[in-house]
Order: sequence, then C-alpha cells, then structure tokens
Amino acid sequence: MSIKINDLTVTFKNKVTAIDHADLEIPKGVFGLLGENGAGKTTLMRVLTTVLAPTSGTVSMDGVLYCEANYPKIQRQIGYLPQEIDLYPGLTVWECLEYMGDLSGVPKEECRKRIQYYLEKTSLAEHRKKKMRQLSGGMKRRVGLVQALLNEPKFLIVDEPTTGLDPEERIRIRNLLVDFSENRTVLFSTHVVEDLAAVCNQLAVMKKGRFLYAGSMKELVRAARGHVWVCRLRDEVQAREIEKKYHISSKQLSEDGVQIRLISEEVPDIDCVSVEPTLEDAYIYISGQRDFR
Amino acid sequence: MIRTERKISLPAYKLAYAFCFVVILSLIRGISFSYEIGVAMEAPMAILASVFCADTYTQEITSRRFEIHRLYPMEKRIRSMILRMVVQEAVLFAFSGVGYGMFFLFQKPFSLYKSGQSTESELQMFLLFLVAMAVTLWFWGMLSNLLACLFRNMWIGIGCSIGLWIVTNSAFGENVFGRWNLFSYTFRNISDSQDFDWLYGKTFCLFLCVLLTMLVPKIMKKRG
Repeated sequence: MSIKINDLTVTFKNKVTAIDHADLEIPKGVFGLLGENGAGKTTLMRVLTTVLAPTSGTVSMDGVLYCEANYPKIQRQIGYLPQEIDLYPGLTVWECLEYMGDLSGVPKEECRKRIQYYLEKTSLAEHRKKKMRQLSGGMKRRVGLVQALLNEPKFLIVDEPTTGLDPEERIRIRNLLVDFSENRTVLFSTHVVEDLAAVCNQLAVMKKGRFLYAGSMKELVRAARGHVWVCRLRDEVQAREIEKKYHISSKQLSEDGVQIRLISEEVPDIDCVSVEPTLEDAYIYISGQRDFR
Repeated sequence: MIRTERKISLPAYKLAYAFCFVVILSLIRGISFSYEIGVAMEAPMAILASVFCADTYTQEITSRRFEIHRLYPMEKRIRSMILRMVVQEAVLFAFSGVGYGMFFLFQKPFSLYKSGQSTESELQMFLLFLVAMAVTLWFWGMLSNLLACLFRNMWIGIGCSIGLWIVTNSAFGENVFGRWNLFSYTFRNISDSQDFDWLYGKTFCLFLCVLLTMLVPKIMKKRG
C-alpha cells in the first residue's frame, strides 16, 4: 500500500492556500507528518480521507486515483482518527464500537470478534461497559483508534493522537500505532517531535502548505549536523541578545549563567561548541533554513 | 441497531424538555370544547418537532464524527439517519397522544358528542387528530433536519422552519394557501364535523414529506 501525492494544491473559498503544490510518497509502515500548527497537516489528512477534494493535483492509493467515482473503493481502505472527536457519550464502549463497526459495513459476528481483539490489545476490555463520557482522554483516544481499525484498513490516518495526553498514555498510544502498523500504512500527524522520534523511520516536514523535507529520520538529522551549537553565557541579558540573532532550541538556567542550544547555518560569532543534533534540532533547522544567518 | 440509534438521538434532556413542553402546553393553552384540542396542539407540536429533530445529523458535525461518517457506505449512513428520524418522530407522536389526554385531565373540556350536539365521537376526533399529527410531525421534523444538514448548522434548520411556520400559521397563510395550507387541520371549520377539506392540506404536506425524505441521500452526499 502506498499513497502518491502529485502537485497537490488546496485553496479554500477565502483564497487561503492550505496546501501549495505538494508532492509526497507515503510508503508502508508508520510515516510521520510533522509541522507547526497551521502548516496544512490536517488539510492534507482531510484530502486523504476524502473529506476535502483537492483544488488541483492528484492523489492516488495503490494506483487508484482519488476521484468521486473511486471514493467508495478508497474509503473502504481507510481508517481515520481525527484530532478532536467526541464519540457518542451516551453509549458504552462496546455499543459505540459495535455501532461504528456496523456503519462501516463489517458483518456482525466478525465485528464482535474484532472489537474483542482490539479492546484486549488496547487494554480496554475491562472498560467495555463504561459509558464513553466516563472515560479519560487517553481511553477515548484508544477507543477512537479501535474504531478506526474495525474495517481492517490498509491505510490508517491518525491526526495528533497524543495531544493533551499524559506521558504514560502518550507512550501507550505510540506503541499501539507501531503494533497496528504491521501490513499497513500508518500516517501519524503531530507537532510533537518526540512522538515521531519514538515510532517512525520515515517522515515529512510541512510548513505553510509545502513539504520542506520528506525522507528518513536519519537523513534529516544528518542534514542538521554541523549546525547545532551549545554555548554558555554569563547572564539572561546576553542570552536575549543571542536569541535575537539565532534560533534557540533550548535554554537552561544554571548557577554560573545560561546554557543555550542554538541552530545556525554558519559558525556563530560567540564562544560555542558544535554538538550532535536531535530530531527536534533537525526539525527547527529544516523549518527555518531560509531564515538562518 | 434501532436501540443504539434511540440512545444516540434521544438523550434524557430531549425527552425531558419535550415532555415538559407538552405538559405546559396542556396547562396553559385554554380550551372549552374537546374539538379544540387538536387546534391547540398542532402548531406548537410542529415547533417542537422542528427543534427536536434539527440535530439528528448535525450532532455528527458538532462532535466532528462526520469525518469518520464520510468513510462509511452511503446506504448505511442514510439508514442511520432515517432510523433516528423514525425513533424521534415516534416519541413526539406518543407525546402528542399523551398531550391530548392531558388536555382532558387538566381542563376537562365540554364534549358536544356527549351532550348530543355533535355526531363525531371523542374517539373519532382523537383518531383524526393522530392522522393529522403524524403528517405534521413528520414534515416539520424532516424539514428542519434537512435544512440543518444542508447548511450544516442546526440553528439555521430551526430558524428556517420557524420562518415557514410563521408564514403558514397566520391569517396571511390561511388566506393565501386556503385548504392547501400546511396547517389546514388547525384552520379547519371546527363547528362542522363533516368538513374534511383540511385533508387537501395534509395530503400536500404528506407529498412534501415524501419529497423531503427522498432528498435525504442527495443532501447527505452533497454536504457530507
């Protein structure tokens, strides 16, 4: 299963271009989509789930073109967990999943088997009789993930599934995505770099509707090599001066001054040492490449 | 699945406000004769149906579940919406019947049949009331739901329905549409139990109901 996006543009009625001539190929496995808020990630997901039609350009799934005539065929292959979703608060977990399974066209007996299987996988089996409104945020996301898997999709799309969750739940969701990525393509959108570093090998970085980078995580980190520096400054005043000149990826106060981690295209004109970039550094480097001095 | 659709489309608060509406209506809308009950109930129940059914599908939009719903086969989605309409209309229909009884209970209206001044029995009047209400509830519920779907906003659905309600449930509506008025049952000549001219309006209303129901798949396809 692979998804090909060619010269995709999405312009809204208010003339805002959310995706601007984007090209991308999404291979099998967990594929990360990284970008700041408003980068166009959710719009891309809405195109991929057929909610939005592209203004121009093409999208295809295993050679099947996204068009009105092919939508039913494509939609059967997709599982989707939107960023914000409020699953039927008055239904129990089991009722909710059974209902959504029925709507997606899964035969009743098969649907029950799958619900049972996925509830156990997601450690929700003991909560099956609880009403949706009684679940925590993390549990709701897990139920959302199960509903997205009920039709055994070949292409699973999850939009910022870890946002607002505590660290334990985030790790749990991330691990589940890896478990469920076997034999399918999982598109994992987030603006939390740490989450992608934990689950993906391949990713794309979006900014202002364009893909700044698409490829392996290692390559992205390699690209930032030699552009990340750590320096120790006397005080906060000096740190503020440096902040005006460079992109700062982290800042730590200590007893003998301020330690900052900065990203620069060239060697900074202060006393500093080059360090190995993290994925977060690489993301900042790629996103702001044109602005670097 | 009808049990699940009932749980989704009939939360406790909706049942509570609909029931309170009927109770309050039967308490405050003054009547003297039993044949006035239908007139007292039809138009207010149409408003209730418009409000009650407007969120049938728009609740999927406000909760953002519609993005998932779009992936489901169209026939399943239509079946789901029709089932929701059926359970809601059934509850409103039952409440109408209960409301009719409440008028008797609270206001003890005078019966012309019992005093020998009319040939139309109470049961006959009640059955005709049920026929008229079934069509009225179906039409106003479906209209507001469909408009809400079209504009993806339940308030627009309710607002437009109320607009039409005001036009048709007025002296202007009575003069312009005559016996073809959507509220022909309300405007019928209540002193003449043999006057069935109001059936024209209700038949027209029924025709519109079928038309609106047939539009459901098209609007769902178009507006997601």
